[in-house]
Amino acid sequence: MAIAKNLLNIAKKEFTKIGLPEELFTKNKFNLLVDRNKIVTKYPAPGVRSEVIETPTGVKTKVYIEPGTKLEEPVTLCFGAAGRTDLQTTESEIIVGEGADVKFQVYGAMAEGIKLKHTAKTKIVVEKNAKFVFIDVHYNGENTLVDLETETDAYVGENAYFKSVFKQIKGRAGKVRVNLKARVDRKGVVVFETKMIGKKDDEIKVEDIIYLDGEESRGISKSRIIAVDQAKAEFIGETYGNAPRCRGHIDCSEIIRGKDVVVKAVPVVVVRDETAKVTHEAAIGSIDKKQLETLMARGLTEDEAVDVIVQGMLR
Amino acid sequence: MEPILTVNNVKLSLDEKPILKGVNLIINKGEIHAILGPNGAGKSTLANLIMGIGDLKSPTEGEIIFKDKILNGLEISERAKLGITLAWQEPARFEGITVEEYLKLAGRNNPDLDVEECLKFVGLDSSYLFRYVDDTLSGGERKRVELASILAMKPELAILDEPDSGIDFASMEDIARMLKTMKDRGTTILMITHREEIAEISDRASLMCDGRVIQTGNPKEVGEKFKNMCITCEVKNPQLVGGK
Ligand SMILES: Nc1ncnc2c1ncn2[C@@H]1O[C@H](COP(=O)(O)OP(=O)(O)OP(=O)(O)O)[C@@H](O)[C@H]1O
Ligand SMILES: [Mg+2]
Repeated sequence: MAIAKNLLNIAKKEFTKIGLPEELFTKNKFNLLVDRNKIVTKYPAPGVRSEVIETPTGVKTKVYIEPGTKLEEPVTLCFGAAGRTDLQTTESEIIVGEGADVKFQVYGAMAEGIKLKHTAKTKIVVEKNAKFVFIDVHYNGENTLVDLETETDAYVGENAYFKSVFKQIKGRAGKVRVNLKARVDRKGVVVFETKMIGKKDDEIKVEDIIYLDGEESRGISKSRIIAVDQAKAEFIGETYGNAPRCRGHIDCSEIIRGKDVVVKAVPVVVVRDETAKVTHEAAIGSIDKKQLETLMARGLTEDEAVDVIVQGMLR
Repeated sequence: MEPILTVNNVKLSLDEKPILKGVNLIINKGEIHAILGPNGAGKSTLANLIMGIGDLKSPTEGEIIFKDKILNGLEISERAKLGITLAWQEPARFEGITVEEYLKLAGRNNPDLDVEECLKFVGLDSSYLFRYVDDTLSGGERKRVELASILAMKPELAILDEPDSGIDFASMEDIARMLKTMKDRGTTILMITHREEIAEISDRASLMCDGRVIQTGNPKEVGEKFKNMCITCEVKNPQLVGGK
């Protein structure tokens, strides 16, 4: 257990300013809070063994969840940058032991006005019969310039379940590359969900790759990306149906608003077994007119209505 | 009787095809006014033109007046702020918005808003508050939520395009009770329907045919005329039959 009081106060001030819920701090929710390369708080969660090392530009984390661990409350982590810094790198390795059932709630927080390149590499192993939900939500300031590169590589064991959610909640997305990859074993399930909005000259690139290697394994890759102003957005979803009776589905929907956006969606479906089935739906379009008109008929302005619709899609 | 809405010799052509051919209609403040008419008569077009939906912001000729204000050219939001709203024949679906949030948005200017009560009046229990207004609701449930959102908004004038279609209201009393609640709370109702028994629970009714209002008055009489004249007329025009 360790707390760096002054660092905690700075993090609280800067991160709540960009929208992080205040009660995370007042109710002491963080099991691990990192400001760039400094461990600010660290409290162990039951059944979760972890080792965190400060590096010159970030942290290296190793987490082992003991077999059979079942937690009601999510393990809450924050990797942030509260002040001026050029580079932050995080490397994590998470092993979820057999039969465990846990959820990680991860906050990315980049303080208002900073300019930062952030790379995050995460390796995840979800062992047999385990269930692991990894929710990664990002808060930036409206004037934060982030160049974010995240790479997640997961192995989903027999009859295991892994869900990864990546969401941009507040502020500018910046330049973002999200790369999610999973190999799924027999009867395992993987769900990838990405929800982002790009504004001004933001550039978003999301790549989901799922290998359904085990019999009866299942994969879902879902993305909702909204591009306004001059933003660029690209989604690539690849699902490989390599085993008997595996099932995969890619569902991507991109909304464009403004005539200068550039949006691309590429679903790739490869099947190597005649009993495998992988489907996809991809849609790029403007906001549904009827949705817009319905809300306007209830008295919302067009901009308010767009906001409600977009926030709903990003939820 | 004080008129709240006056449709004054309104003509509308779409792609050079005349759809509304001189509609005259007065809706009185506080009444439930039913509009009957066969498929293709122009009922929904008139409703959309009053709300300003899509490109229908102004009639080709004539004017629509809401409480002394000419609506021609106004945006949907501006009309809504004046106190008009519309419930579509087929309501839109929304990803990620709960029924509770949806009702609160509709009722954000209603100081007496009680979302659970709104649901109760359309026959849905409070467990629906946490459902999403997306395609997980059945068609009938979605329409009920739409009517609840009108109750939540408490507008001065609600245009309901076939509120009864696709809803298995247990009895006529159910739909009558819901409409009466809206009316008692100060909403004037302009209701499009195909069922003359629904029209009969209104205060007045009008019959539309081929882009015109051909009769306005007692709902029983208008309903009779619709039944005796239009329905047989539709049978003579089989392409117009269906959808009810
Ligand atoms: N955009 C359009 N362009 C051309 N014709 C149109 C357009 N919109 C509607 N119409 C035509 O106008 C006529 C009236 O349509 P409207 O939908 O108003 O009928 P309605 O009375 O509501 O019928 P229903 O009972 O089937 O709902 C129809 O013949 C329809 O085909
Ligand atoms: Mg119609």
